[in-house]
Amino acid sequence: MNLLTVTNQTWTITLLGWVIVFAALLFLVGVFLLVPKVFTWSAKRRLKTKGKTQVTDDQLAISGETNAAIATALHLYFSEMHDEESAVITIKEVRRRYSPWNSKLYGMNNSSYYKLRS
Amino acid sequence: MKKFMTFYFVLAILFCLQIVFGTDISAAVDSASGAEGGVMHGLVALWDFTGFANVTLGNMAMIAVGLFFIFLAVKYDYEPLLLIPIGVGILIGNIPFLPGYKIGVYEEGSVMNYLYFGVKQGIYPPLIFLGIGAMTDFSSLISNPKLMILGAAAQVGIFATFLGASALGFSPEEAGAIGIIGGADGPTAIFLSSKLAPQLMGAIAIAAYSYMALVPVIQPPIMRLLIPKKERAIKMKPPRAVSKTEKILFPLIGLLLTCFISPSALPLLGMLFFGNLLKESGVTERLADTARNSMINIVTILLGLTVGASTQADVFLTLASIKIFGLGALSFMVATAGGLLFARFLNVFLKKDNKINPLIGAAGVSAVPDSARVVQNEGLKTDPNNHLLMHAMAPNVSGVIGSAVAAGIMLSFLL
Repeated sequence: MNLLTVTNQTWTITLLGWVIVFAALLFLVGVFLLVPKVFTWSAKRRLKTKGKTQVTDDQLAISGETNAAIATALHLYFSEMHDEESAVITIKEVRRRYSPWNSKLYGMNNSSYYKLRS
Repeated sequence: MKKFMTFYFVLAILFCLQIVFGTDISAAVDSASGAEGGVMHGLVALWDFTGFANVTLGNMAMIAVGLFFIFLAVKYDYEPLLLIPIGVGILIGNIPFLPGYKIGVYEEGSVMNYLYFGVKQGIYPPLIFLGIGAMTDFSSLISNPKLMILGAAAQVGIFATFLGASALGFSPEEAGAIGIIGGADGPTAIFLSSKLAPQLMGAIAIAAYSYMALVPVIQPPIMRLLIPKKERAIKMKPPRAVSKTEKILFPLIGLLLTCFISPSALPLLGMLFFGNLLKESGVTERLADTARNSMINIVTILLGLTVGASTQADVFLTLASIKIFGLGALSFMVATAGGLLFARFLNVFLKKDNKINPLIGAAGVSAVPDSARVVQNEGLKTDPNNHLLMHAMAPNVSGVIGSAVAAGIMLSFLL
């Protein structure tokens, strides 16, 4: 490998290419450092128009822990799959329908009566 | 059963004769006459069609490589979703056959050639990027945008390899295609090589995917070498919560900004950000679901199989491939070192409570999410309570953007 044999065009592409990659991502960095600031500024402005004069950054930002707590509470609430119940406990008498198939009367043998007669 | 065994026994003897004595079987058969000659002619015609008659040492070597890939994937779980299709593709591509019957991947009109069309014309890589976009969460990047620079720093691997390949005598187009291995991004490597150096695509794709699978082996020693233990133990602030509006704005701004700078990367970046918008918009869940599951799975199967099949021994086993493998390993090391050193450099300008753990610089090579996982493991080795995964995902996904931009730049300079 001999770097002296590398042409000027190759050196140009190497250096310029890397610089352009850096520039593209630096642009994105700049934009996304700016975006939250714009959001904060617009939120403050909206609150001020509604009469809130003292607005701090802490009031606008919700911490990850708070978000997690709210999300968990909502999840638990919405995933509650039970039906709504009246909460009144009643004891109702169980009514059995009459059926001759399980009637005790038909199941008895009247053997003692025959025994007495004989 | 006995007939079959006899038949294969005869074939095996013919095969051995050809190897041992260098006998020309066709000539031997020509000298035979009558019914005996007819049978022999039929057998020889059949023999000529078999893989045994056409096998070369190169085929056997490549079949061994394919089996090794499958072994690595099954035994060690190294990128199995890629190595299994590629490994089987290598087997398919290197089963010897008689040319001219529309069988091989390079033969016009063969089934494999039709499937290979998606690779040759650079259709599959953007579809893979669509799926990646639909499954990537850019929150960590949006919450700490300065980490994006690490993704740019690690792209030094691409340009250093480009320089190295040029110095080794490759043409600028070939050097550009080889350089992209340093981006550690398979689809990008395939996309760029299909445009700049189609003849090297098999070697480049195999090198890129092999080294991506070997990220857990390549990166840790470089990390330990370049980052002192004290710095490896730095704990980073938890990332802030990112609003839905920011998440929706990111793909839109990213698409417009990066593609205006590097329009040649439009097929890759356009699809990446489109996929991400499908995910983040919240109203196209069905499309996002298809992009990140069914579609990416189908394209991965086709891409892996055809890239593997493109490594036919006669095309693949050349000195150029060996050089490409050497340069690929070098580019991975340079990219990792570039990311790590730039992270240390960045720390010089950051306040004490805002310092970054330099290990996450290694995730700037875009092997998503393997390099981020390696950073997490290395961080845990130094301090079992230091979880770096979420922080490492930021340079990791910015590395994907960076390598696609670099590919676009290479295209615009060299095409």
